[in-house]
This record gives sequence, structure tokens and C-alpha cells, in this order.
Amino acid sequence: MSTQLTTLLAVFLFPGGLFALVLGLSLKGLDRRVAARLQGRIGPPLAQPFFDLVKLGFKRTMVPATASQPVFLGAPLVGVVSMLVAVALVPVSGLYSPDPMLGNLIVLLYLLMVPAIVLMIAGSASTSPYGALGFSREMTLMLAYEAPIVLAVLAVALRTGMGQGGVITFSLTDIIAYQRSHGMFLLDPVMWPALAAFALFFPANLGIIPFDIPEAETEVLEGPLLEYSGPALGLFKVMSALKAVVVLSLGIALFMPLPFDGIWGLVGWLVQLAVLMEIGVTVVRLSMGRMRIDQAFGFFLKWPLLLAIASVVTVTIVA
Amino acid sequence: MNMIPDFKSIATKSPWIYRINAGSCNGCDVEMATTALIPRYDIERLGCQYCGSPRHADIVLISGPLTTKVMQAALVVFNEIPDPKVTVAVGVCPISGGIFRESYSVKAPIDQYFPVDVNVPGCPPRPQAIIEGVAKAIEIWRERM
Repeated sequence: MSTQLTTLLAVFLFPGGLFALVLGLSLKGLDRRVAARLQGRIGPPLAQPFFDLVKLGFKRTMVPATASQPVFLGAPLVGVVSMLVAVALVPVSGLYSPDPMLGNLIVLLYLLMVPAIVLMIAGSASTSPYGALGFSREMTLMLAYEAPIVLAVLAVALRTGMGQGGVITFSLTDIIAYQRSHGMFLLDPVMWPALAAFALFFPANLGIIPFDIPEAETEVLEGPLLEYSGPALGLFKVMSALKAVVVLSLGIALFMPLPFDGIWGLVGWLVQLAVLMEIGVTVVRLSMGRMRIDQAFGFFLKWPLLLAIASVVTVTIVA
Repeated sequence: MNMIPDFKSIATKSPWIYRINAGSCNGCDVEMATTALIPRYDIERLGCQYCGSPRHADIVLISGPLTTKVMQAALVVFNEIPDPKVTVAVGVCPISGGIFRESYSVKAPIDQYFPVDVNVPGCPPRPQAIIEGVAKAIEIWRERM
């Protein structure tokens, strides 16, 4: 009973739910603010994503006459729920480790695919031609980045598993514990190919500029989100804010968990999140143009896939 | 008790802007892009954001004299924008037709067809004027919410 209660708390309060929502929206606000400063503008207030969300609550949700209403309105809900569970699956070093009953790294990888699938469903349910374009682009991109990320995560799991005397472990708690006693994977040259593959994966998963092809405003008018308005659109914003927290904290857990406990662990984790958001998202999206979908597909099947395969091979050989 | 007006004033800090080009010569459109994109006139300070889809919009900027050809399409797009919305007519063309007035293919005073709330005259108007127009539109929007 008490484990169920802590699991519920993890999903709805900390680190999932409310905490992750506030954190994700603040990270987005920081991103917009820093982006404006880098361009020499003043930029919106830090709380801008919160304002946007409140505003969307006041607007009307319009459902296209040709759309399938339950699917159209259900898709964002599925996305948000999957991300709520996903946040609760990522341990925070020294602060929180999820109940093994809730799931492991494999479940997390599945949940990370859900937002892309939800966008595809939303795009096709809206019956808009731009939604259909977004659907096909989202699917192509997902096919391209899914293989490298699975292999990169596999490399980490193999390294930890072999280090612990077994073969492979899919428990993020074990991966963090191993790094706390043997040093971060960030400083381990064997893991650098996997780290590079993960670094290339995450702008694609977050849908920021070199890889925001499915939602490109100037090409497909925000693609799958084109027909959404009001609270339904707000749910998509919540989903993407939560996804930023999941992907960033997954990166931290896989490669750079801090060896601190308690309050310093929390502060360090927040600083890591903010720094990763700035380096990995803001700077990247400001310094690049958008790729075409065929370029992105070719790119992912070339470098990240090679790096990921190389990382699995080296990890196996070294161990 | 006080929560509802509070939320409303929070909500007005996030006006999303959509542009409809109703046959404009692109002069006003360049000025509107300038308003958002260059450091000197940063409209994002007001929380504004240009959006690609009319369904996400709160404030509509219409430019151009409304040519016969584009009128039906412009009306369709305008009706796709969810309420509450505010309309800003940018440039002198929406008011009188500007340099295109008395043309056979121009429906010039566009307030016959669109409920215009704010006029920003000029050919083209300066970015400061557009920002002021948007700021006025935000006040009107607050009342409508």
C-alpha cells in the first residue's frame, strides 16, 4: 500500500507531475529568454510559458468538422499521461529512485516514443493536409533516430552490467549507483561514442531547430498542431515541457549523475538541467538552420548510428 | 474570489500574433517581420509570438487593401481564429486602399468585411507604431476575455 502511495506521489508530485511541469515550463522560459539575449533582444519574461498556458486555457477548442473527435481530443491526453509516467521512471541521483515495479529503462524508451506517435495520430486525426505532411515527416524522423538511441542506451546498460559482473542491466538506479562508485561515464573515453550519439538524438526527440522538421512553422504551419487550439494545444505544450525534463534527466542519469546527496544533489541536478538546456537546445537552435527531412534521415543513419554501433562494440571489447 | 481577474491579466501577457496578407505590396509585411525579428524592436517583450496557424492566434494583423481575389480566402482564415480575438489593420491600405484606391479589383475599406479594432496607418507604418497598435489591441483583448 505504501509503495503504491509513493509511486502515486512520484507520478503526480515529485519528480513527476507538478514539479516536472513547473520545471519544464521554467526551462522553456529560460530557453526563450537566453535565446533573445544571444540575439541581442530583451526577450519575454522568464514565466512566459506559464502565461501562454493560462492564456490557452481561456481560448476555445475548435474541432474540425471532418476530424474524428475522440481521437483528436484524446491524443494530447495520452501524450501527457505517458510523459507523467516517464518522468517518474527517471531517477534523480541521490534523491529519488523509482520503484522497480513501475518499470525500467526499456519501458522508458517505449514511453519516450509515445509523444512522437501521439503527434502522428493527432496530425492524421485532424484531417488537415499539413497534419498529414507532419505525420509522414514525424514518422520518418522517428525511424531515423530510434535505432541510434536504443543502441546508445544499450552501450550504457552493457558497460554497467559488465562492470557489476553480470551481462547487462536495464535498471537506471543500478546505472547511477555504478557511476557513483566508478566515476561518471562522461569522463570515460569508452563511453564517448554513446554520449555523442545521445547528444545528437536529443534535439531530434525534443523537436528543436535542426530537426523540427515535422512542426516547421514556415513549411507545414506547425504540422500536426495546426488544427489544435485552446486547452488541447495547451496539453501539447505541457507534453513537450515534460518531455524536455524526461530527456534531459535521462541524459544526466545515463552519463553524468552527480555524487551529491540531499539538497546539494537537487541543486546540482537543477543546474545540470539548466546548463544542458542552454548548451544542447538554445545554442544549437540559434546557430543552425532547419534540415530537410531527407537530409535529417541521411544524417541519422550515418553519424549517430555509426557512433552508437561503435560504442556497443567498444564496450563489449573493453569489458 | 480574486482568482479569476488575476488569471485574466496573466492570460493577456501572452498574445500570439497571426498575419493575414490581404493583397498587400509586402511593405507592411516587411515592417511586421522587422518588428518581431530584429533586436531593436523586440515584440517578444510583450509576450508576443508569431504563430504559423490561425487556430493559435489571439491578435490578427491584416495588411493590404483586400483585393477581390483574396477576399474569400482571407474571410475563411479569419473565421478559423478562435475567440476572443482582436483585429489590427496595418498600413493605410486597409483604411482607404492607399495607392491602390479606386482600383477595380480592391475592396478597400476593409471594416466593411472585418471587425477592425485598431488601425495603424502609414505606408508603411513604423515598427514603433505597429508595436503601439499591438499594445492597444492587448488592452481591447483584456476587456473581451
